[in-house]
Amino acid sequence: MSDFLCKINMLDIDLTDQRYKISFLEEDITFLAHSIKETGLVIPPIVRPLANKFIIVSGFNRVRALIYNNRAHNNETKILVYETKPDATDCSCLIMSITALAFKRPLTHSELIISTRRLSQFLDKKQIAKKSSAIFNIELNVRFVEDLLAIGALPDPALELIHHGNLSFKSAKRIASYEKEIIKVFLNIFSKIKASNNKQLEIILHIMEITARDAIKPERFFKNQNIQDILFDENKEPGLKTKELRAWLFEQRFPTIFKTRQMTREKITSIKLGNNIKFLPPQNLESQNVSISFTAKNYSEFEASVQNLHAVIGNKELKEIFNP
Amino acid sequence: MKIDTLFIDKAVPRDFETDYLISRLKTDPQWVEDSKTVYDVINTADDPVSKAKKTLYITQNKGAVIKACPGTSYYTCCDYTILHTGTFCTMDCSYCILQAYFHPPVLQYFAGLETLGHNLEKIFTQNKIFRIGTGEYTDSLIWEKISLQPKFLVETFARQNNCLLELKTKTVNIDSLLPLDHNGKTVIAWSLNTLDIIRSEEKGTASLKARLEAARRVESKGYKLAFHFDPLVIYPDCENQYKKVIKQIFEHVRSESIVWISIGTFRFMPKLKQIIEKRFNDSTICYGEFILGLDNKMRYFKPLRIKLYKQIISCIKEYAPNLLVYFCMEDEEVWEKCMGFFPKKEGELGHYLDKSAVTHCSLNPHFL
Repeated sequence: MSDFLCKINMLDIDLTDQRYKISFLEEDITFLAHSIKETGLVIPPIVRPLANKFIIVSGFNRVRALIYNNRAHNNETKILVYETKPDATDCSCLIMSITALAFKRPLTHSELIISTRRLSQFLDKKQIAKKSSAIFNIELNVRFVEDLLAIGALPDPALELIHHGNLSFKSAKRIASYEKEIIKVFLNIFSKIKASNNKQLEIILHIMEITARDAIKPERFFKNQNIQDILFDENKEPGLKTKELRAWLFEQRFPTIFKTRQMTREKITSIKLGNNIKFLPPQNLESQNVSISFTAKNYSEFEASVQNLHAVIGNKELKEIFNP
Repeated sequence: MKIDTLFIDKAVPRDFETDYLISRLKTDPQWVEDSKTVYDVINTADDPVSKAKKTLYITQNKGAVIKACPGTSYYTCCDYTILHTGTFCTMDCSYCILQAYFHPPVLQYFAGLETLGHNLEKIFTQNKIFRIGTGEYTDSLIWEKISLQPKFLVETFARQNNCLLELKTKTVNIDSLLPLDHNGKTVIAWSLNTLDIIRSEEKGTASLKARLEAARRVESKGYKLAFHFDPLVIYPDCENQYKKVIKQIFEHVRSESIVWISIGTFRFMPKLKQIIEKRFNDSTICYGEFILGLDNKMRYFKPLRIKLYKQIISCIKEYAPNLLVYFCMEDEEVWEKCMGFFPKKEGELGHYLDKSAVTHCSLNPHFL
């Protein structure tokens, strides 16, 4: 812990210096402010003296809550803080800041990434991994620290996308291995859509494979009018954009499969088997087994379905499905 | 690829075969108690596959010397018999399944001609036709320049009449085989592909022209031939490129000398994709229209396979209407649509191939 407990003037805290802030979460501090007002400050924030001012090491929300109380209730301007030792270093303060949060609750991915990136100014990946349980309240192996650092090196929007759930950890790790211009393409795409981890990975995979196959740069591919139309249509929800983008990419990546599936679907529809009969063509056309099924609550439903099936015998499209 | 590290199992006797190998490898051997040292060297390398291609381990075959080809379920297998003489390969084809098949891949040469001989004798005394090949887990002729094994096998097979030996290769290592008395029992087979695929995906292999020239040379010495279009790779204009290769085959050798031609499109275990992407940056071979096959291998979408097969088969038939063309691991629909029939019964495809073996290699027809 810090050296000593003291009271400092709230105005002496430099709120603009957030070098130890590792959390993106802007929590609502109304309840905290109310609690402090009612119960008092249970754990004072930690501050570090620097150039006649104090910068916050830990307790950004508590300071915000105190300022809130001060404005709302005109309370005293002095606040109780732990002041760090004079010989505290940037590294020790950073560790203090991370530790304070990590032992309060598990860090989010973006917090882990920010923390690791900042720690890497003072410690190498092996040292970070070695000290991880004491700093992060969780053991991180060197490989994972490497991943965190690789993701931490992504341009700024990446962390925000990770924080908002637009970019999964795995997707971020995947795109971190690409060139700068390609990374920009994916950050741009993921800022416009909202997809699950698997769908994000599929989008990355398809784009990289299409562009490799066709020997074009992903940044050029991104300028394709179809992609632009999907992503930049202001009237579409991110979920719908994801769906349309995935469908279009699948068509580009697997043109024959796409076309064949579409034709088969059209044929099945044209047969008009009725809603009660499920007709499933062989998966990927690899097997030759077609699945036809229906359920019947009673004999007349059974009879109706059998008659429907009987009626389509000889149907040209049906024959084509069996003999593509 | 040059061998830079040579390990020899201490259990391997220091005999003429081993001395012959050592003298030709020009690398100081390290005699080891077991394979652990070899595995460690390979496993700790940055690229274990590349390291394994330069690290030769001469050892004895501790498993089955002769075994049936594993094949896979759902797709028709040709009932081949494997003579297990070694593992892995010095050449570096991007699509090679051996990169993912062995853990880790180890370039092994199984010494012990006597053991090979004993095992073969048991097969030679059976009243059954066998098509036996050494090219399943390795290339049959990568060691031809430094080993007595190919000569031993050709001469051993020459003395019997129920087994065909198929030496399958992408090399042109045939010199030591030319003067041998093979008695028509050895088929030398080349894996062929288009110029584009050889150039982009088959690093360290002989050129198409060199392979076909080598085929012409062995044919002139009475050897029978086979060709394998496996893997066929689908890419723009591939049909025409494959047709050009087929044309070249028949410009180089007589169709009567060819025992069979097999065809099979590229298929791979899903985990091979990562290896290819890591080791062959420029390869786009995995980016075709693949689906997960019924044997859990990635295969080209069936209509695409059928389209290419039809063209290749019709092209081969134009040059050699009676030549036996067969599919390696394909299903009923593909057979029916491309060949007009399907060898449905168990062993039926094998029987067709046996018949061709009997005809071309003068095996005993009573064993059919």
